[in-house]
Amino acid sequence: MTASRIRLWDLPLRLFHWSLVATVLGAISTGLIGGGWMVWHGRQGLAVVGLLAFRLVWGFVGSTHARFAAFFPTPGKIAAYLRGQWQGVGHNPLGALSVFALLGLLSVQVASGLLANDDIAFNGPLYPLIDKALSDAATGWHRLVVNALYLLLALHVAAIAFHARIKRQNLVRPMITGWHEGPAEQESRGGGLPLFVCALIVALAVTYAASGMWIPAPAPLAPAPTMDW
Amino acid sequence: MTRNTTRALTTAVLLLLSGSVLAQQLPQLKPDEVIRYRKAGYAFMNWNMTKLKAMLDGSVPFNKDQALAAAASINSTVNSGMGALYTPGSDKDSGNEKTRLKSEFFTQPDKVKEVAGAYRIAGTKLAAAAATGDPSQIKPAFDEMGKACKGCHEAFRKD
Repeated sequence: MTASRIRLWDLPLRLFHWSLVATVLGAISTGLIGGGWMVWHGRQGLAVVGLLAFRLVWGFVGSTHARFAAFFPTPGKIAAYLRGQWQGVGHNPLGALSVFALLGLLSVQVASGLLANDDIAFNGPLYPLIDKALSDAATGWHRLVVNALYLLLALHVAAIAFHARIKRQNLVRPMITGWHEGPAEQESRGGGLPLFVCALIVALAVTYAASGMWIPAPAPLAPAPTMDW
Repeated sequence: MTRNTTRALTTAVLLLLSGSVLAQQLPQLKPDEVIRYRKAGYAFMNWNMTKLKAMLDGSVPFNKDQALAAAASINSTVNSGMGALYTPGSDKDSGNEKTRLKSEFFTQPDKVKEVAGAYRIAGTKLAAAAATGDPSQIKPAFDEMGKACKGCHEAFRKD
């Protein structure tokens, strides 16, 4: 088995990754600042919704190493990895755990955010579908889950630093260039343009659904008899 | 300045000045009442903030009288001496009234003073900005008001 340069991460996956980094960091900042930035917090949250929807589809129709089935972390694979017997390329079994945890946690975070309210002037776009009490509960989850997200993001960055310093593996460069050392038979295949367009259409549809733009304006209340007091 | 504006500002100033007096001459309240009154105050301000936001983001037409009324309502509620409603032990539900006040409210008086001070200043500035009738001046004051609300939520409101 000769090591050579192979295409590891396809372009859509890399664009997804770095767009997610930018929007999540942005959403964390605007959420922490609050005030007028909440409008942007909502937009960034919707962008994350679209990106997650894209990733979900790409996990089934993307190229080899983007597919969930290719790196799904079974207990057997994790055990083999911990014994130093894992031979694959792409997400290693522990990294795969972190990928699924991050995608899952981000999904909970955007879902709760869509329903949230801040008791001041900002509501999530799907707030009109539920009552205030449920929205308050969703807001509580939103504020709780973000702490788990901080933890996982820190772990993600720490793992990259660990691989760079201790294991002498640069994980960042392949995520930028797409290229990695590996046996030729591991080269990524599939995930062509038509599939990308399909995933994009699904992502846009999900974002539209999450934006609440389709929710009809509530029937106006009968006007109060006098408006001059 | 219009007569309305002058009156709103005068009211705000009088309320500010009388804050300490208000605190000392209040009727006795029951624990469920302090919770009910303070929640009513915040819900009322929530409504007025929502009205301002709708006018500022263009989802309803800007109307300077309504903006002034909303901002003045927020300011007078902010500066109505609501601190008196935070009686010790009122971080516990009482009767049918539920509260999300954290018990830290009673152990961190300096932090309370800090967020409450920022909140009162933001309220006063919001009313002053609304008195200009100029949305471009109201917008930043509205944003600061929201941040001041958030300041207390972050510190003392349970999730």
